[in-house]
Amino acid sequence: MLKKIECFFQPSKLDEIKDELVKMDVGGMSVSEVKGFGTQRGYLEGEKINKKVKFLPKIKVEIVVDEEIVEQVIETIRRLCTAKTIGAGKIFVIPVEDAVRIRTAEVGKSAIY
Amino acid sequence: MEKKSNLWEMTLSQLDEVAEEINLDENIHQILRHPKRCLTVSIPVQMDSEKIEVFTGFRVQHNVTRGPAKGGIRYHPDVTLEKIKALAMLMTWKCAVVGIPYGGAKGGIICDPKKLSLKEIEKLTRRYVSEIISFIGPEKDIPAPDVNTNPQVMAWIMDTYSMDVGYSVSGVVTGKPISIGGSLGRDAAAARGVMFTLMNTAKKFKFDPFEKTIAIQGYGNVGENLAHLLSRQGYKIIAISDVAGGIYNPKGLNPVQVSLALKDSGSVIGYKDGQRITNQELLTMDCDILIPAAVENQITEKNAGEIKTKLIVEAANGPTTPKADQIIKERGISIIPDILANAGGVTVSYFEWVQGLQASFWTEREVNLKPRDIMQKAFDNVYRVSEKRKVTMRKAVYILAIERVAEATRIRGLYP
Repeated sequence: MLKKIECFFQPSKLDEIKDELVKMDVGGMSVSEVKGFGTQRGYLEGEKINKKVKFLPKIKVEIVVDEEIVEQVIETIRRLCTAKTIGAGKIFVIPVEDAVRIRTAEVGKSAIY
Repeated sequence: MEKKSNLWEMTLSQLDEVAEEINLDENIHQILRHPKRCLTVSIPVQMDSEKIEVFTGFRVQHNVTRGPAKGGIRYHPDVTLEKIKALAMLMTWKCAVVGIPYGGAKGGIICDPKKLSLKEIEKLTRRYVSEIISFIGPEKDIPAPDVNTNPQVMAWIMDTYSMDVGYSVSGVVTGKPISIGGSLGRDAAAARGVMFTLMNTAKKFKFDPFEKTIAIQGYGNVGENLAHLLSRQGYKIIAISDVAGGIYNPKGLNPVQVSLALKDSGSVIGYKDGQRITNQELLTMDCDILIPAAVENQITEKNAGEIKTKLIVEAANGPTTPKADQIIKERGISIIPDILANAGGVTVSYFEWVQGLQASFWTEREVNLKPRDIMQKAFDNVYRVSEKRKVTMRKAVYILAIERVAEATRIRGLYP
């Protein structure tokens, strides 16, 4: 079974995370620069918080992997993104019903690896 | 043609060969050489002429260590106990290699269904079921269609069993009509599995399947569905045949038109846009991928030397005789064996049984997707074994299957 891992973290962590994930069985990833807020309401540590919610720049990474390595991928991302402050990010795991490689019509796991 | 009575000997020697290769424990080897149960029953049937005729039927359960027995029932004049024993053993290996929790069984009745009326076939089926009834059941042994048995026969089996126990039991048999708990997507399941196996093979053997030419022998359930699936994906099928003969067009055939020709004229040879060929010519023609999807014993020592394809994907059961297998191996042609390539059928049977037990039914899409994961895993495992041990895919299938059954036997221990 395939799972999609969609995670959000601070832009400075991207290169390190990419390098670690390619060492594992991660066949590809999509990266977007996004804006967002979470528990920290868009404020950095130490900043004075008022009622207005702000956006902070974040990186969104989407990867689809085989179920077998999901735990390992989560562990890696979490280890590299961990910060003592709030706003380190989130990881979501989403079931993928199917995948198709357009060029070859390969489906399922074959489409990914 | 191989002597039919030899099938049991051949199957046993296959087991012995693998046992030696994997250093199988001698005690477990002995257990696996013997079917758990062989039942021979007499089936008296009052024919339409009012005369009573007594038929002979069998049900063999080879091994149930990994789960209830599973296997088809065939109606054929050539049925013998030995043959059923062999086919039951092959079912044990098939279920084990695919990793579904079943043991192997097979059944059959010596009869010529072409000479029987529908009513006579119904009576024959019901009495046969009643004779083997204490040995079958959703948690014991689950029959399925095979040569000359169809969803209607499965419905009679289900009804007879249900009448006997006093309530409806849909999980006693698979391959049922949809109205009584059959699974959606079953018709094309075996063909889907073959196509998926072909794609996996292309990936591992590193070739582009769209550039290859494909010849399909047989245009029954598997052959026809496969031709349609492949052609929709963009594969190039250059030859197709059925019992009456074949058609060939190097530019590619259109299965939609082939099926129309079959409907209109009763054979694929009614197709206009192709050249007529024989079944023998199809098997030995110049193509990249040959898919035997008809009956057993088609590739024999007589034609194996002339086969020009690079890859054979066995959609049919036992299309290649062991002697031909040896010749083909020496000639460097790869075979993706039947037990692996056509396991889509038994996998959907398994899911039909699961749906029956849960009394909950899946959409066709779910039924199409689930077996794929199972087939993928089976293919990857077999390929790994064949690489690791430097053996053919066929040998790898047997190694993997026998190892699994042996391990289950070892861990369960011997009763008492």
